[in-house]
Parts: sequence; C-alpha cells; structure tokens
Amino acid sequence: MAGAFTYAPAIAALPFVSFLVALFLGDRMPKGGALAGIAATAGSLLLSAWVALTVAGGGTYNQELYTFVEGIDTFQLSLGILIDPLTALMLLIVSLIAFLVHVFSLGYMNDEGETGLPRYYAGLGLFTFSMLSFVYASNILMAFMFFELVGLCSFLLIGFWFREAAPPSAAKKAFLVTRFGDYFFLVGVVGIFITFGTGAFAGAESFPAIAEQALNGEADVTTFFGMGEQAWFTVLGLLVLGGVMGKSAQFPLHTWLPDAMEGPTPVSALIHAATMVAAGVYLVARMYGFYALSPTALAIIALVGGFTALFAATMGVVKQELKQVLAYSTISQYGYMMLALGSGGYVAAVFHLTTHAMFKALLFLGAGSVIIAMHHNENMWDMGGLKDRMPVTYWTFLSGSLALAGIVPFAGFWSKDEVLFEALIHGLGSEGGLGTVLLAAYAMGLLAVFFTGFYTFRMVFLTFHGEPRTETARKPHGVGWNVKFPLVVLGVLAAIIGFLNMVPLEELTGIHLAFLHDWLAHGGIEMTTSETYGTLLHDVAHIQAAYPLGELGTTLASAAVSLSLALAGVGLAWSLYNVDEPTEHTDKLGSLKTVLMHNYYQDEYQVWLATGVTYPLARAADKFDQGVVDGVVNGVSSVSLFGGDRMRRLQSGVVGNYATLITTALVVLLVAFGLIGGWF
Amino acid sequence: MMPAEYYLVLSAAVFCIGLFGILTRENALIFLMSVELMLNAANINLVAFSAQYGNLTGQVFSLFTMGLAAAEVAIGIGIILVLYRNFSDVNVTEASTMRW
Repeated sequence: MAGAFTYAPAIAALPFVSFLVALFLGDRMPKGGALAGIAATAGSLLLSAWVALTVAGGGTYNQELYTFVEGIDTFQLSLGILIDPLTALMLLIVSLIAFLVHVFSLGYMNDEGETGLPRYYAGLGLFTFSMLSFVYASNILMAFMFFELVGLCSFLLIGFWFREAAPPSAAKKAFLVTRFGDYFFLVGVVGIFITFGTGAFAGAESFPAIAEQALNGEADVTTFFGMGEQAWFTVLGLLVLGGVMGKSAQFPLHTWLPDAMEGPTPVSALIHAATMVAAGVYLVARMYGFYALSPTALAIIALVGGFTALFAATMGVVKQELKQVLAYSTISQYGYMMLALGSGGYVAAVFHLTTHAMFKALLFLGAGSVIIAMHHNENMWDMGGLKDRMPVTYWTFLSGSLALAGIVPFAGFWSKDEVLFEALIHGLGSEGGLGTVLLAAYAMGLLAVFFTGFYTFRMVFLTFHGEPRTETARKPHGVGWNVKFPLVVLGVLAAIIGFLNMVPLEELTGIHLAFLHDWLAHGGIEMTTSETYGTLLHDVAHIQAAYPLGELGTTLASAAVSLSLALAGVGLAWSLYNVDEPTEHTDKLGSLKTVLMHNYYQDEYQVWLATGVTYPLARAADKFDQGVVDGVVNGVSSVSLFGGDRMRRLQSGVVGNYATLITTALVVLLVAFGLIGGWF
Repeated sequence: MMPAEYYLVLSAAVFCIGLFGILTRENALIFLMSVELMLNAANINLVAFSAQYGNLTGQVFSLFTMGLAAAEVAIGIGIILVLYRNFSDVNVTEASTMRW
C-alpha cells in the first residue's frame, strides 16, 4: 500500500532534475535538453498513474515531510504531501499535459531552429515541478510558495523571446497582474495561520475542519476587527480568492492572459491547460471545505465566474488571431469552473477542469501546428482551406473544438452541462439573495454557451475551411510525428474523456455512469470528500437543490437548452463563415465592434488606474516621505550639525581661555548653589 | 593661639593671586608659579585646620601635596621645554595649531 506513496516526492522531483540537467548540460546534449524533460515527465506520468491506482484502491496519504520552522507553543511551517482522489486526478492531468507539451516542443522549437533551447526546456521543467508540487502541497503556505514559483516560471517562459519588444512586456504584465492578486493571497495565508494556527488542507487538525468546529461552537478561533466567525472566514476566503482570480484570469485580473500569447505556443498550452491558470481553480477546489462554510464567498465566486464566462466569450468573437480566440476561450472556460465551484458543484468544477485541460491543450497544440504550417503567421484571415492540407491537425482540432463548444458527445458537453445544471438547480433551490445571485450567474453562463459555439466554429471555419487566402496557406509547411502524436492522443481524449461522468445519460438510462462522482466521494481523509462538501454546503451555506421538472426532466431540459444554444452558435458561425470566400461581419456590430476590439477598454482603464491614480498617489507618498519624514530626520541632524559647529569654537587651543571657563563656571555654580542653599 | 580665620583669609588671598596669574599671564613659567601658589594656598588651609582640631592628618596631607607639586613641576617643565622647541617661545597662546 505504501509503495506508490513512498515514491510520490519523485513525481515533482523528476521534472526538477530535468530542469537542472537542461540548465547546466542542455547545450551539450542533443535536442537541447528536450530528451531529459520528456523522460522526466514520462516518469512523472507513470508514477502519477501508479499513485492514482493506489488511490483507486482506497489509499490516501497526508504526511509532513520536512519542517523548516518549528514554533514553540504556536504553529509550525512545513512541507508535506497530501494525496487524495482530487490530487491524484490533477497529478495525472498535469504530468500528461506536460509530457505531451515536451514532445510537441520537439516539433515546435527544435525543428524550427529556435535558439536558447536549454533555457526553454529548463523553464518547462521548473514549471512542471512547481505545478506538481503545488498540486500535492499539504498546507496552504507550501501551496503559496509553489503558486509563486508557477508565476515566476510563466514570467520566464512568456518572455522567452526576449529580444523582441512584445514578449518581455507581456511577461512583465503577467507577472505584475498575478502578483497583484497574490498580495491578497499572502495576507489570506497569514490570516489563516493566525486564526487557526495551522495551514493544513486535510485531516482533523486542518483549518477547514477547525473552521467548521468553530461555527458549531466546538472550537475557539481568533477573529479580528470584531467580526463574527462566519464573517471573518468570508474575509479570509475572499483574500485567498484574490490570488485565485489573478492566476485563473478572472475578471478584473484577466488582462494578462491574452497578452501571454506572446510566449511559445507549447507554453501557452501548458499554462492554459494544466499549470498556471488551472492552479487558481485547483486551489479553490483544494480548500473547498473552507469555502463551503461561507455562502457570501460562494456567491461572489459564482458571480465572478459567470460574469467572466460571458464577458470573455464576447471578446473572443471578434479576434483575428488564432491564439487570441483561444486565450479568451480559456478565460471564459475558467469562468465556468468558478461558476460551478461557487454554486456548489464541486464535482462539476473538477470535471470541467479535467475535460478543459484535455481539449484546451489539444486546441493550443493544434494552433501550434497551424502556426508552424503558416510560418508563424497567426492571423486567421490569412489562412483558410487548411483542412485538406493538414488532415491530422484538422480532425484533432475539430474534436477539440466540438468539445469546447459543448456538442454532444464530446467532453465539453458533459462537463459544461453539469456546471450549468448545478448552477441552475442550486440557484432555484437556495433562498434569498444567494439563489438570485446563482441564477444570475447561471444566466450569464448560459448565454456564454452561445458565444462559445460561435467563436469556436468561426475559428475552425476561418482556419480550415473555404479557399486558401494566401500563398502560405496554399502550400503550408509540413509537420512531423512529434506534432501529430500529442495531437492524436489529446484528440482521442477530448472526444472520450467526458464519458467519465455522464450524469444526464445516467438519469435517462438508470445505468451507473457518474464515475467521477464516485472517485471524488471516496477517500479516507476527513474534509476532502465531495460528500463532506455536500453536507457542508447544505447545512452551513444553505445551498439547496430544486428540481422544478423532476430530477430527470430538469437534467434533460438543462442539457437540451445548453446544447441547443451551442448548436445555434455553431450554426450562426456556419452560415457566416463556412463559405469559400468569408468576409468580416464584425462591421455589422457598429460601435460595439470598437468596444469589443478594445477588450471593453479593460487595458486602458487599468493603465489609467496605474498612471492616473496610483502614480500620483505614489508621488504624493514620495513627497510626504521625502518632505515630512525625511525632513524631520534631516532637520534634527542639521540642528545638531550646526550646534556642533558653533560649540567647537570653544576649543580655541588657548589654555588661558579654558582656565577662564573653568573659573567662571565654578563661580557661577557657587553662586547658584549659594542662592538655592540660602547661604546669603 | 591665633584663630583659624586669619589663616583662611591668607590662604584665600594666596589662591586668588595664583588664579589671577593664570588668568592674565601668557608665559608658561608664570603659569607654573601660579599653580604653585594655588597648591600652597590649599596647604595653608590643610595645616590651619590641622592645628585647629589638633589632628595631624591635615599636616600629613600637606606633605603629599608638596610631593605632588614637585612632580607637577617636573612634568610642567618638560611640557614647557617641548613647547619652546616647537614654537621658539613659552607663550601658551601660541600653541593653538591643533584647534578645530
């Protein structure tokens, strides 16, 4: 039983070794260190599979491995490993995607003759290491540390082509925007430690467990600012949520993600499918036992998620570059996951995270293949007709697109439908403001389905259908096995991974098909099973489900509505863009087009916030610091400097003057003592 | 026996003469002499009170003072010699090159 878990640290350690190998020996190795990375991630994948099998057999693991600060009569800071069904699933996803991205990089980077490959593969290795360590972190401080490392790696990789102007700037933006969110996360981590005295995610001594006991009056915790326990937990949850919103690119901290497309395409695949962006949502899922205690935090998560899903989807509609469309779809899809988490659909969120990892990695790698073929031209209006010239890419990309658009029976349909279904039933069932908020978020998510179908197939039709619009598109560059192999693996997975959890079909046929529900419900560690979360949501957050058309009817109706909206979107894209010579229809949007093209002026207002508000504020603070604070200090020193300068004139060097001074002082003292002592 | 007040007045007068010498003169040798006067003014006080109270401690102490004065003169003369070598003069106001 202990076998797999003994080797668990190696899952993260292997990519770290490949990082070191690529960094120090990469330029002496064939392929610039790629083989070390491929071997390491393949090893991680095998170990993850072994761990997953062990977990399937009922095993869990929660062990502190190294304590680096030992507190006396207070908390300790340590590194440890927590493996439960959620972790096992995520480890599999991350190592699989990382492995395929490494293979794909052979085609995208090595075969294209890029320089700086050791640096590239070192970055990928460190990125994989950080994410895997983050995934099985046993406490929130360790999670925070690797969360930051993930951010650092994304900075290094987005700015990989640092000799051009745009990538370094995009890298800085990604770093700064996510760091803005991480400030809140850090404050939240400190708050959790001082409130609960522990940062552990799971077990009887974990902070979600203590929080639940505190709400039941069984445990005592320190709250601040005179807040009640639930209000304080909400504040802590929202602080941590700041980091989540930065990393998972939720409104209003989503602006870094479209710019991050400046990085190499395999890196985009890794960032979007399995590492950086997934880290945020995964963190909420990891500490869901804590969020489940606070209906306010849940409502905010759901609202932010629903809004982001719709907001990003509308921007994806007008983009001209292949990777930009995918970037906005990523923001939108992570919005769905947040919506699911906020509305109590823990399993649905994890399910969507899984399916999205597969089809989004597929789409990015497919886009990478198209970009190789198009000699690094990403504008979809220069493409067209690639269907017959690169069939493998076309069919796998189509599989991913059908999954993204949510067309039955591809993966995205099952997961997105479950997300919306959970939001609907809990929105209808919960009372008061919470229900209203959930329903509003549901409505936005539902509307986004239409846009998702539309922009996805606009992208497919513009890229692959019609007549080639440029010379490059007529004679595209061929791609090798190392590009096709990851595409085929992911293409098959994107088609079938939805079968993990076919809730509507289970309702319809009565056959047991919701395997992911079982997977997340089992597992021995307290506070981390979906059943516990369900109880908490029901008892503490008062999220309840309602089935206005009966359980079967509601399930089918919800699925039918979202499917027909997706099909409507696809149909509109079909009629507008699936012609031989498609034209831009965006002018019909009128002034809305300008707004969409400018991404709702999000960048502009954030720049304005920086230059118009923060900068003057900083300058005023600087003035205060330089003028008042430093002024006082400088004033004191110049007074003593001046006084000292005067005083040293006394040291004339003439002995007689000293004698005079001594005598005068003696006389003055005698007279003074005499007056006080009453001698006269 | 003469009352102690006379001796005290004499002592104060001798002390003031010494002090006056230090404050007004610039010659280092006069300084030394003035310091001798002030030390001896103190000696007069010691001996006068010793006689007043019939206690020999004061007289013994005045012997110490004389020893101290002899040592002080030895050092003082040495300083004056160095002063003279450096400034070709025994004027104390000359030796102010190390101020500020």
